Amino acid sequence: MARVLIADDASFMRQMIREIIEPEGHEVVGEATNGIEAVDLYNELTPDLVTMDIVMPKRSGIDAVKAILAEHPSACIVMCSALGQETLVMEALSAGARDFIVKPFKPDSVIATLSKLAEKTSD
Amino acid sequence: MALDMAKYRLIFLEEGGDHLEEIGRALIDLEKEMGSTTAIDTLFRMAHSLKSMAASLGYDPIADLAHRMEDRMEGIRADGRVRSDQELALLFRSLEALEKMVEAVASEQVPVGADEELLQLLAEEPLADDSDCSDDREVESPDRVGGEPKKARP
Repeated sequence: MARVLIADDASFMRQMIREIIEPEGHEVVGEATNGIEAVDLYNELTPDLVTMDIVMPKRSGIDAVKAILAEHPSACIVMCSALGQETLVMEALSAGARDFIVKPFKPDSVIATLSKLAEKTSD
Repeated sequence: MALDMAKYRLIFLEEGGDHLEEIGRALIDLEKEMGSTTAIDTLFRMAHSLKSMAASLGYDPIADLAHRMEDRMEGIRADGRVRSDQELALLFRSLEALEKMVEAVASEQVPVGADEELLQLLAEEPLADDSDCSDDREVESPDRVGGEPKKARP
């Protein structure tokens, strides 16, 4: 099971991810509401996994991914994307994000993606 | 697993109402300064967020209109400013349509889709700029100059 940081400016989405993953045994150790907070909380909490929204204020999710990976090359970050963001998802994956989940979230798909990565990080 | 969608409907009404207020404030800022980066970014993010929340709850008409608005804002963001008075009026009209849809959700009604003309106009290339777009001029919006946007409540 993984310690997870959720980064999304929408409370709606943060709560939904939390509700999906906590019953699976994952622990949400922090919530960030913008890209700057995401980087700061990563440095403070060093979570096993991050769910990172792409569109956020102050600093985009992609910029936050780059900043985190510059300091923590093994960071495990999953992008949260929406319809029409394929190019941005590809940019994030090229920058080092491990995978992505698509809004609207399908709980089973979110669980499968995060659990697969959690297993790898615990190896 | 099943999520408690009634709970998320309430969160949507609260957070979505806040987003509509932010869109309204950003549009008023754009009336004063059509190249306001802050207002343009805010509009883009709010439309994006509304789209995702609405899609999560199956409110397709809201998601569709917010998506069109988001796409339009992406073009505006690339150009660095709202490109004409007509385009600004179109954004105000989109906000009003979104407000009506969210009000329908608050009244436990099914939101009706935006009219096709509005969706079509949002998808079209921007109209030719027929105005002086200096950043300090005032632009008359359809019916909300100086007005506070409405907020839907649960």
